[in-house]
Amino acid sequence: MLALGGALTVFLAGTGAWLILRWVGDALSPPGTTAPERVPYTGGYAPASHAWSRFHARYYAMALLFLAFDMEMVFMYPWAVVFVAEGMKALVEMLMFIAILVLGILYAWRERALAWS
Amino acid sequence: MAGSRRATLRNALARFAAGAPTRVFVLEGIDAPDALDVLQLRPDITFVDTPRSATVLLVAGRLPEAMHEPARRAHDAMAEPRATIWWTLAPDDGAMLPFPDATVVPAQPNGSPAAIVTLARMLARTQAELLCAARPSEPALLADVDPAPWRGVGPYGQGGAGMTGGVPYGRPLAGRAPDRDGLELDQLPVRVGPFFAPFPAGLVLDITLQGDVVQEAIVPGNAFVASGGDGSPVRVTGDAFHAALSEPVRIADLERARARHHLRWLARMLRVHGLDALGHRTLALAASLADSLPRGALGDVGALRRLLERTRGLGWATAGVGVIDPRLVTGRGLGPVARAAGLSEDARIDDAAYDQLGFAPVVQEGAGERTRHAVGDARARWRQRLGEAMQSLELAARAGDRRTGGEGRPIEGVRGRSSDVTRDSPSAMLLALLPDLLLGQEWGDAVTTIVSLDIDVREAGRAPGAAPLSPPPAPQPSGGMDGMAGMAGMAAKGDHTEHDHATGQM
Amino acid sequence: MSAPAGVLRVLSLAVLGVGAALLGGVYAVAVLDRVVGRAIARVPLRLIDAAVTPAREAGLLLLQRRTVTERPDAVVWALAPALLGSLAAAALVAIPLSPALALPDIRSGIVYFGAAMAMVMVAVYVHGWSANSVFPLIGAYRFVAQALSYEMPLALVLIAAALPAESLSVSDIVRSQTGAWNVVRQPLGLPLYLIAGLGLAFWGPLDFPDAADLAGGTRAELSGAPLLLWRAARSAVLVAVAAMGAAAFLGGWLGPWLPGAVWMVLKTIALLVVLLTAGHLVARVRLERFVVVAWTVLIPLALVDIFVSGLLALRGAGR
Repeated sequence: MLALGGALTVFLAGTGAWLILRWVGDALSPPGTTAPERVPYTGGYAPASHAWSRFHARYYAMALLFLAFDMEMVFMYPWAVVFVAEGMKALVEMLMFIAILVLGILYAWRERALAWS
Repeated sequence: MAGSRRATLRNALARFAAGAPTRVFVLEGIDAPDALDVLQLRPDITFVDTPRSATVLLVAGRLPEAMHEPARRAHDAMAEPRATIWWTLAPDDGAMLPFPDATVVPAQPNGSPAAIVTLARMLARTQAELLCAARPSEPALLADVDPAPWRGVGPYGQGGAGMTGGVPYGRPLAGRAPDRDGLELDQLPVRVGPFFAPFPAGLVLDITLQGDVVQEAIVPGNAFVASGGDGSPVRVTGDAFHAALSEPVRIADLERARARHHLRWLARMLRVHGLDALGHRTLALAASLADSLPRGALGDVGALRRLLERTRGLGWATAGVGVIDPRLVTGRGLGPVARAAGLSEDARIDDAAYDQLGFAPVVQEGAGERTRHAVGDARARWRQRLGEAMQSLELAARAGDRRTGGEGRPIEGVRGRSSDVTRDSPSAMLLALLPDLLLGQEWGDAVTTIVSLDIDVREAGRAPGAAPLSPPPAPQPSGGMDGMAGMAGMAAKGDHTEHDHATGQM
Repeated sequence: MSAPAGVLRVLSLAVLGVGAALLGGVYAVAVLDRVVGRAIARVPLRLIDAAVTPAREAGLLLLQRRTVTERPDAVVWALAPALLGSLAAAALVAIPLSPALALPDIRSGIVYFGAAMAMVMVAVYVHGWSANSVFPLIGAYRFVAQALSYEMPLALVLIAAALPAESLSVSDIVRSQTGAWNVVRQPLGLPLYLIAGLGLAFWGPLDFPDAADLAGGTRAELSGAPLLLWRAARSAVLVAVAAMGAAAFLGGWLGPWLPGAVWMVLKTIALLVVLLTAGHLVARVRLERFVVVAWTVLIPLALVDIFVSGLLALRGAGR
């Protein structure tokens, strides 16, 4: 409990430190920009539209595969702790579990979900 | 009291920080001094890849009229404190510079080391003065006009008080178009300008991006061609290859210049792929070839080649990227690009002087041969140029006092065949190939392809179909807000929906 | 009451200790990067220059004005470097310097580390997206693809390191290496971890979001203090990667003659040098290639690693 409390404190302190340094930068050189200085730089011309758009994330199929493997990770963490105590049986069970998921990778690979250009 | 203490602290910090390497962003124009890479090698200067974090804007050469507006925009993109320095061979031609406050530094045609040191010290001094507020920062050049006219009325009558008429904060949102995956997603049109760090100097492309894949790339013209001019290419003066067209030149000098050019190109290629240290090493090798042939040059280049091939990283990054069909480049005198595609074309084959030296052109694997690798891709091109550089160094060492050129025959330039007759330069032909080559490529592959072609926009002139640089296309208000723009919006963007993007490119 | 005072002491020690480690680590990365770069470029370098220049550059960036783009998401853009940096700091909490100098042990240290490193994806994506400019946006989306690919090998090799220790806590993993370091018992572990670690810190061959072909990518619109903070945060993540690698594979504080903390620091620096050299020698690979290789080569190798180390652990325990 204390450990995680310490971790949270470090996290918040880190965020605070970074923000304080940013504030120091602002104090040394206050930002007061004119409109042409704010234009996003693309090599010399103003952009034709906002960049925010429905960007086509072509790896969405791979993201689904990642979700499946993430769930496998959830099971592997506690398995790692009790593995030696449980013996060979635990190894074989986990192997079967992994084999099923590896079939998923194979399927994704054959369906060209991993290559998208 | 607190104010003055803060001021002293700030001054102390400024004096400490002034010793940092000067952050320079370079705008390359016509007749950019050759010694730019010697400047890049200095440890007290850092060339940054975006003007945002630069302190000094170094304009190398003269900027034609069409590049003035982009240059002003690059200047304004810099973060304060900022200053401009103009480094040129022709300092009296003030019309070729859009910056009224720039400090002018005349360049020497042969780039003596002392002049480079002076320039570097001046850059460092400029940065120091800017930081310590001894010198005012340059104000923005473009008019402070907010692109968001609030309370605007849109082109279809919508909007009005409080609305922005389909153009939020002054810019439209990206419009939709069908994607080859069967989805209707947004396309981002962007004109990547003449001063974009990974691109060759002066290259402008109108790119339509969908995701990070290039859907369309158009060359909207050549920024170096003046409107009303005759479109003839800008010839680099003082070049050994240019001199060889009219008078005999020592083969040793010619080949040394060739090796130097290829090594400078390789340094750019390495930098674009994230290998700054190896790029620095290559550039140092190239700089050592500027005036004479050092004894260990061939060995050093050989060691570099072994390192690049052993670490394989550059091979992985370029294998299969930007494949050019050999049939597209046959017989057009495209030099290294053609030889990288397996074609044995070289104007030096017909030269008696080279024959005496036992010259045979370096050629990569061709279309018919058995090879694991793709033919004519970016990997073949960098291996070709590196091989040619080594061959050139070896020829230069053996050539003695033999001379070539001046007989009216075409000579082999660094990018291909060049002759007295004004015809399309290799760069013009390669620019014409770009739109088809970049179609359907992911951004990183597109940049690799462009850099691997070694295009010099200055010598491209008015390529067939190209013209002086046209202004960027006027942004259309987005038709994505269907409820408001409706049919009118769709009609305005009709050209997008009619294109067949599902052409099955892989 | 001494309990709150004790708690306060521990918390303040945690903050100060991690802060000092991070500051030293980030500065060490800057210095070592310069040294390694100059060595590879075959350029002579004065050590005093290498030692002081990062501080000068930091001062320069602090004095520079920060950029504002036309319509950014200002709050998120300001927070993103802070998030990245504090994630690295939080990750360091799980890694013990030595038995005497460690913070209270997090029992599920590896899970916690994985969680902190998974949030890196959020920080980098949001950093690229919030600027509302094309090239940072492309960098952000590329990073998500990269992040989804390296997560699995990273977590799997750490699990393989946890198997002989029968515990997820990093201190127990270090103690389990008293006989032999994991780099010897599980030879596949460290190379896979380093590759995934390069992806996590988006450094060198896997630097997709801040790539040179995007003219800087997510940092293309940055200047001034935010640029300094972003670069520092990225170096901090690299330090966290190296520290975890030293603890899980190189035996942490174990070693003869020198005190444990010194060994830990030396091993971290050694891994940093390896990572920085890889950054300077290997070009940025193609993203598609990396994704395919991560899913079809690295994950099966990591699974083989788990299988083999599982068998060894069973044999070691006599079952």
